[in-house]
Amino acid sequence: MTPNSGWRQTLRGNGWISLLLLFLIVFPFLVGWLTESSPVGIPRGDRMVMRGESVRWQAVLIEVYILAILAMSYNLLFGFTGVVSFGHALFFGMGSYILGLALEYTALDTGLALALGIFAGIVVCGLLGLLIGFVTLRLRGVYFAIFTLAVAEMFFIFFGRFQLTKAEDGFAITDLPVWLDPAQSRLTFYYVALALFVFTFLFIRRLVKSPTGAVFQAIRENEDRAQALGYNTLRFKLLSIMIAAMLAAVAGMLQVLLNKKVGPELLGVAYTVDPLLHTVIGGVGTFVGPVIGTAGLHLLDVFFRNSSITLGGVTVDVAAIWPLLLGAIFIIVVLIFPQGVVGTWRRWRLNAGFRQRTSAEQAARSVKAAE
Amino acid sequence: MSDNLLEVETIHTFIGQFHILEGVSVGVRKGSITVLLGRNGAGKTTTLRSIMGMTPPAQGSIHFDGVSLVGKTPFAIAQMGIGYVPEHRAIFKALTVQENLKIAERKKGDLARKGDFIFELFPDLKRLSHLSGGQLSGGQQQMLAVARALVPDNRLLLIDEPSEGLAPVIIEQLMNAIRRMAAQTTVLLVEQNFRVASRLADQYVIIDEGKSVAGGVMDDLKNDSALIQRYLGVA
Amino acid sequence: MVSKRNSVPAIAAILFALLAFSFVTSGSLGNFGITVLSGLFQGMLLFLVASGLSIIFGLMDVLNLAQGSFFMLGAYVAYDVQHAGGVVDLTAAVPDPNLRFVLAVLAAILVGAALGAALERGLLRRLYVRPVFQLVLTFGISLVMLELVKAVWTTTPFSWTETFGVRENFFELFDQRFSTYRLFVVGMGLLLIVGIALLLNRTRIGIIIRAGVEDSEMVQALGINVRVVFTLVFTLGCGIAALGGAVAAPFLGASTTLASTFLLQAIAVVVLGGLGSYEGTAIGSLMVGLSIAVAQDSAIGTSFSMLPSITPMLLLVLVLLIRPSGLFGEAR
Repeated sequence: MTPNSGWRQTLRGNGWISLLLLFLIVFPFLVGWLTESSPVGIPRGDRMVMRGESVRWQAVLIEVYILAILAMSYNLLFGFTGVVSFGHALFFGMGSYILGLALEYTALDTGLALALGIFAGIVVCGLLGLLIGFVTLRLRGVYFAIFTLAVAEMFFIFFGRFQLTKAEDGFAITDLPVWLDPAQSRLTFYYVALALFVFTFLFIRRLVKSPTGAVFQAIRENEDRAQALGYNTLRFKLLSIMIAAMLAAVAGMLQVLLNKKVGPELLGVAYTVDPLLHTVIGGVGTFVGPVIGTAGLHLLDVFFRNSSITLGGVTVDVAAIWPLLLGAIFIIVVLIFPQGVVGTWRRWRLNAGFRQRTSAEQAARSVKAAE
Repeated sequence: MSDNLLEVETIHTFIGQFHILEGVSVGVRKGSITVLLGRNGAGKTTTLRSIMGMTPPAQGSIHFDGVSLVGKTPFAIAQMGIGYVPEHRAIFKALTVQENLKIAERKKGDLARKGDFIFELFPDLKRLSHLSGGQLSGGQQQMLAVARALVPDNRLLLIDEPSEGLAPVIIEQLMNAIRRMAAQTTVLLVEQNFRVASRLADQYVIIDEGKSVAGGVMDDLKNDSALIQRYLGVA
Repeated sequence: MVSKRNSVPAIAAILFALLAFSFVTSGSLGNFGITVLSGLFQGMLLFLVASGLSIIFGLMDVLNLAQGSFFMLGAYVAYDVQHAGGVVDLTAAVPDPNLRFVLAVLAAILVGAALGAALERGLLRRLYVRPVFQLVLTFGISLVMLELVKAVWTTTPFSWTETFGVRENFFELFDQRFSTYRLFVVGMGLLLIVGIALLLNRTRIGIIIRAGVEDSEMVQALGINVRVVFTLVFTLGCGIAALGGAVAAPFLGASTTLASTFLLQAIAVVVLGGLGSYEGTAIGSLMVGLSIAVAQDSAIGTSFSMLPSITPMLLLVLVLLIRPSGLFGEAR
């Protein structure tokens, strides 16, 4: 373990990240103060009701945290280990279904059901990832991609028709501990989500910077060489997919708690496409890339969802063409800026520094020549 | 040498971040059989691939009959009259012998014109012409790979380790064929087997750790056991 | 080579088992016939998508995830040309619905091929050096195509309402009415299978393609511009997929779900048959098509209504577990 991997050093070494974290921590109160709304909602009888700007924006940020965790898990697999998966929604969805089933379909006490559901969901998804990886990671990369696509689709279709879980309608979560229920204690849920988000970020960062993470990246660069160096690349890839699967499951569980509904759309291709898009556009293979991609794109979506643009006499709803725009941006990024926003920005900074140095050198040389 | 058909001058070639060729120069006289010698991994195959445009050099120049090859795509280089026979018998296993020869045509009727000569050098191929490449033995596959380079009018043949993995009898056949081919064209050979190389080639270039270190007439080299020991290990 | 010889009895056995199972569960000869025809119909459609997928993958090492989107595009274009309204309205210019259908299919092929050529030259060419991103790129293309189609034709699926001669005809056999149109599509599919086989085996370009599937670098070294062949193959693949959508449209309509459904089924076909193998794709299409039809037939009236939809996926999973190289693929 390198000394820089401790979380305190991480925060200290990156001043602006610490600042951002501070901002996110005080965010509900900041918004509450600016808009004169309560961060904990309004009491109505003996319950709290979620009304007001602060709680509304808390929900928006919670969504960002969830999607960011999902994107970071995808980035671990794709960006750092070089394994393409088209079935990430499987882990997201299964995590949510298992938690949902534990909460609604078991006769256990709510707190116990919650704990059981979380534990079972994470374990099952990890095993699922292990299984899928074991079957296909020994083959060429394209087989894994195909397999994950097919399996995710299978599960989606299955749960869409499975009567026990109410097929495509899904079922609602009615039985949640009050302290965690986002419809009543959103502030608590906000901090839970934020904590998991920060944990995921730091965990992945530590993992990637560790010797294990170095092997992940070696596999991404050139798997044959990594094998020639003596690493059992299959084991490392399996580890990567297991961790990615478990993190995705956590994201799925948060989502299910937020929406208090379980349905097959959680297994839908949107939850595979979104992390892929966010990661690639944000910057694949970087730590902050997926976060920036997710936050940026999701917030843009929220801001402009209800507006429309007029071009040459034709008025279009942004909501209608948003996926198209996203897809087009994605293609442009893949072709021209494959390092994404973060990677390209870093490159510019590097080049600018280099240019400064060479022109300084040239200036120094011409001064010398003149002597 | 201005009468060199192929002039490779101090080329540096990178594969990824690896500096494989660190200054290789090779001059191939027209009508000669020149052999590239050197240990495993010295850079002989990479030299051929650099000439052929598959791993183009980052520095240096390559001229074929006065025309620069650097920057041209492999197919353009091939069309200039350079035939490439890679190592490990790169024939198309899914195609028949006939199809393997046909695909090498660059002008219509190439095979019709050259067919007799080719089947004279490699009589087995005529007999096996309807079998698929994958059904041939190792020796037959190598004959096909070499024969294929004869189909179009090639002024230079690049042959990589033709004798590798073959029985001595087959090697003898192959050598005779290459000698006869060389009468009408120029050959640049990579050969690990010094016995084959010394009997076949009239010129040599030694490559060691990505640099060309010695070159000249093969007859001279045969008597220079010190040089052989130094760069080629066990003779 | 040995594996190919061993596959033939295995294939024959599986096909026989499928047909036997269907025959037994059908109840009547007529029902059995319907199932077989339906299976062949589905199989041909799959072949139209899968053949492009397979050859493009074999030659260019690119798994074109947009292949299903071209099928969907073909359906929409054909629907649009045939019916009144939409982007193109030919009801006045070409009153004969049969003729209009021919034009509709031709239009679909042209649009598919043109778009395919543009995509290959404009986008894919830049990425031949970074294979991981190729997969991601074709995925992105499929997304954009889906959204474009939604933008032009809305998300509401279209059912084919125009009647035209061939579509309406039936013939009677074993007390059942069989659609002549399905037979026509099956026949056309068979013609294409044979035609493409001839192309691959008897023409120079076919030899180049088969050689390129094996070793495209060597083909380059022989003086052949492989990039042009890549564009040609990609264009043809997309055009044929669009053709599939066009001829399927009178029965399946035009909807956005066609893209993912046919992509996944085609992937199952290609993996089952062996990536890059032409014979494998042809046989695989037949098997998957029949399996879906048999599953549909058995699932009627039972609670397993999801079976036909997940059958291709189950086949894919099975193949990857037992024999990932497929029936005719090289064991890599």
